[in-house]
Amino acid sequence: MFIMLRRRAVSSVIPLLVVVLGVFFLARLTGDPANLYLPLSATPEMRAEFAARNGFDQPLVSQFGDYVAQVARLDFGESLRTAQPAGEAALRAFPATLQLAGWTMLLAIMGAVVIGSLAAYRPNSATDRIASFLSSTAASVPDFWFAIMGVLVFAVTLGWLPTSGTNGATAWVLPVATLLIRPFGVLVQVVRGAMVSALSAPYVKVARSKGASEGRVVFGHALRNAAAPVLTVAGDLAVGLVNGAVVVETIFGWPGIGKLMIDSVLQRDFAVLQAAVLVTALVIFALNILVDICHALLDPRVRLRAAA
Amino acid sequence: MLRTEPNSGQDNEPGLKPDKQASDLKPDKQASRPRWPALLLQDRFAFAAALVLVAVAVCAVLGPLLVGDLATRQNLRDPGRPPFSLDHGWAYVLGSDSLGRPVAARLIAAAGTTMSVAVPAVLCSLVVGSIWGMWAGFHGGWRENVSLRIADVILSFPSLLLAVVVLYVFAPSAAAIVLVLSVARIPVYLRTARAESAELRSRLFMDAARTFGTGSWASIRRHVAPTVLPTLLTVAALDFCFVMLTESSLSFLGIGIQPPDVSWGLMVAQGRQELSSAWWIAVFPGLAIVVTTVSATVLAAWARLSTDPGQRWRHGLPGRRRMLRRRAAADRGAKASVPVDEREAAASTRAVEHDTAAPGRIVGHDGHDGHDGHDSTGPGPALGHGTTAPVPASARPEPDALVVEGLCVDIHTPAGPAAVVRGVSFSVRSGETLALLGESGCGKSMTAHAVAGLLDPAAEVVGGQARLDGDDLLALSGRSRRRLAGPGLGIVFQDALSALNPVHTVGAQLAEPFRIHERLSRRAARAKAVDLMERVGIPEAHSRAGAYPHQFSGGMRQRLLIAMAVALRPKVLLADEPTTALDVTVQAQIMDLLGELRGEQRMALVLITHDLGLVSDHADRVAVMYAGTVVETGPVATVFGKPNHPYTRGLLESVPAEQHKGARLSSIPGSPPDPRSVPTGCAFRTRCPMAREVCATHRPTLIATGADRAAACHFGKELADA
Repeated sequence: MFIMLRRRAVSSVIPLLVVVLGVFFLARLTGDPANLYLPLSATPEMRAEFAARNGFDQPLVSQFGDYVAQVARLDFGESLRTAQPAGEAALRAFPATLQLAGWTMLLAIMGAVVIGSLAAYRPNSATDRIASFLSSTAASVPDFWFAIMGVLVFAVTLGWLPTSGTNGATAWVLPVATLLIRPFGVLVQVVRGAMVSALSAPYVKVARSKGASEGRVVFGHALRNAAAPVLTVAGDLAVGLVNGAVVVETIFGWPGIGKLMIDSVLQRDFAVLQAAVLVTALVIFALNILVDICHALLDPRVRLRAAA
Repeated sequence: MLRTEPNSGQDNEPGLKPDKQASDLKPDKQASRPRWPALLLQDRFAFAAALVLVAVAVCAVLGPLLVGDLATRQNLRDPGRPPFSLDHGWAYVLGSDSLGRPVAARLIAAAGTTMSVAVPAVLCSLVVGSIWGMWAGFHGGWRENVSLRIADVILSFPSLLLAVVVLYVFAPSAAAIVLVLSVARIPVYLRTARAESAELRSRLFMDAARTFGTGSWASIRRHVAPTVLPTLLTVAALDFCFVMLTESSLSFLGIGIQPPDVSWGLMVAQGRQELSSAWWIAVFPGLAIVVTTVSATVLAAWARLSTDPGQRWRHGLPGRRRMLRRRAAADRGAKASVPVDEREAAASTRAVEHDTAAPGRIVGHDGHDGHDGHDSTGPGPALGHGTTAPVPASARPEPDALVVEGLCVDIHTPAGPAAVVRGVSFSVRSGETLALLGESGCGKSMTAHAVAGLLDPAAEVVGGQARLDGDDLLALSGRSRRRLAGPGLGIVFQDALSALNPVHTVGAQLAEPFRIHERLSRRAARAKAVDLMERVGIPEAHSRAGAYPHQFSGGMRQRLLIAMAVALRPKVLLADEPTTALDVTVQAQIMDLLGELRGEQRMALVLITHDLGLVSDHADRVAVMYAGTVVETGPVATVFGKPNHPYTRGLLESVPAEQHKGARLSSIPGSPPDPRSVPTGCAFRTRCPMAREVCATHRPTLIATGADRAAACHFGKELADA
């Protein structure tokens, strides 16, 4: 198992590096940061001084060299806006996103397992059709619109929930619900598909031929076999939550990494953007490893294949 | 990412399981498959979805003509006009925004923007991704690896973030969005196309193409592309949703489409500012996005189903099934047995005789000429006569353990139900081995699965009985049936690898019967499981109980499966091709084990097989099946010695044997009938050398042809006396 994890770790480091590299160069193509930070009337001397102070007059290669050295020390440089360490800003913002995403995935997976299994238990039944239609709708609703409709109904019209912020349990409802719909919709369909094929597998017939109750058949025999594709997709969706987080955090003023990234792009704050992206990439990297560990725990064949 | 496929069953004999049968039944593509517009009309959902997409496309194309400059012309004297009023012309039917611009006109104009981003983006990634993927999959090796790595890298980065960063570099514009989105989505097509074409690569006809020296691009164009394309188009439909959603998200965030251009996402963003005063500004564009994306999803789902017709009905059509079950139950109540096949009766020009569904062993039967066949399916007594008083007591030392009568099973297909089991009757005594012998697809496995209550959802018992100790297994409630599963009836499956659950240890699986029926503790059940493993000859049972199925050899797995089936000493054991997947020496060992267990536990063994050798070596009696019915039954020695049915005779003659040495091996001409179009009268008549006119008009029933023998042939007696 450790061999497998090591192999996986090595192969997922490559995307990690490409991402970091890409963002570094792309961010430096977005224009002269001096344009954003200095008044329009700034003289060329002021611009030059600004660039020199922040190392922007160096060739890209040497800027990158500095950057790598800094990253190795977990020093992401200073925010151009606030003059605070960028890494700190990213790490401060991350827990808020992580909590949001964690609850979302937990609820999405639990809900999808229940509803997807119900749908798969009687394929093409009314339950199945309704679940399939609703889940495919959920997967295609634009999250920003869903959020705004939520605000319109529950905050503006009914006044039950706050429009933004993180204070109190009610503040979580709309952000989590918004973030939830897409992964939930996709997962219901994946669970359904996996369960339909697991439930038609011969071992399910064997379980029934032993007199196993339907509950035992579905949860004891089929579900664990259906877990692998569900887990894989859930992992991809968790990565995709970053997309949703950008939108949700912007709309609800949630102080997370998504909002931080958008803000730093809009304000050309290199250091913070790099820090935020790198932290995100690291979390995605860790997540992939976690998914692999879960695969190995769930399926003995994965464990043994890796050992072989 | 590691993906573990659920075990796919490897059935050595196609046509046994409903899903296999389904693929056999798949209508000939050219001949009977309706064209897609007709199919689309059949599905109201998909049709509505298609209409929506057409409407959006029309708006996109004709938008400029329809709305002119209405979408952007400001009218500051009259902002925030509420919707649903035609006082100011159609353009204001959905209200106007804070700058007095009509929402409806803006929606139409925005459709154009949306399409002008989504269509080129999807086309770009579709073309590049699929060609790249086919190329990579076709060649394999490093090209494949590198391509997949690149795809991984692109996909591992959240696409919206990629777009956010890139759009800031190039300044937001429709062209930039198209570029980013097509790059972000290429990997999706690449992976799909690669997977499909890599699978094709391994097929034989590709080798053939390569042997002929066809160039790689020509091969891809000719062989790979047509196969891969349907899947890719489905992916593209889903991708269309994704691209639309991303574009509107970007526009909403202010880094996508820029004013004065109109986009649905942008409209939502503008409406957000006035949510409390003018809800309609944000609601309608959002609805437009939802309706369009849902339509694309529905259409994609429909396309997937209609390119793979098996998908939809493989899992059954529940409404109809419930109806049929009710009908069958009613029939069962009215008559003792329901072999009457109404559909067949309707299809036939004359009144077709129905199998009287006489049980396997019949000594006397007066329905010889077949004309009274239908009538003799009467209530209780007539049937009782056939079943309970057939043979002198001296010849029947043991009571019947299992009696199956007039069993009918249908498989539901889009083209209507196909009768795969058409009135099967047999019985088996304790301690006896009955072989159910027949070709692939004759319904013998379906019979066993029906008796065991393990039919797939698409298949359904529509008539008949299966009595185990007086209980009709087919009429039992779920709970009482479960109580019998194990102690009453055990079943051994064909492919032991897929029949064992891959994620549980074999010990746990063997312990399950004891846990369920005897409510033993985990530990006690485990101990019994180990005993059982020893009993079926698994070495080092104690330590191997903690191993997983894939760590055992094929023969050992079959032993485990048998152990599981006999754990609770069932009265009847159904063995569905228990040795087909095994090599010959292991086959013999497994059959010996089954024989031993049968003797030890006084089990009735029903051996389902197509192997004549196995039957003659291991069975006491045989029931030969053809096209869903039993055509001949009797003791193996006499049936094989002197078959009373032309089909049995044909089967035996097609086996190489000493006496045929030097002669040409004969075979039965033609092939077994499609379950949906079984010939009228005798199902075998089209292949039968003895067929007469009567065979086309009257369906022969099982009639006694000798001691403990019966054949369903109008000339059975002649064959017996000849």
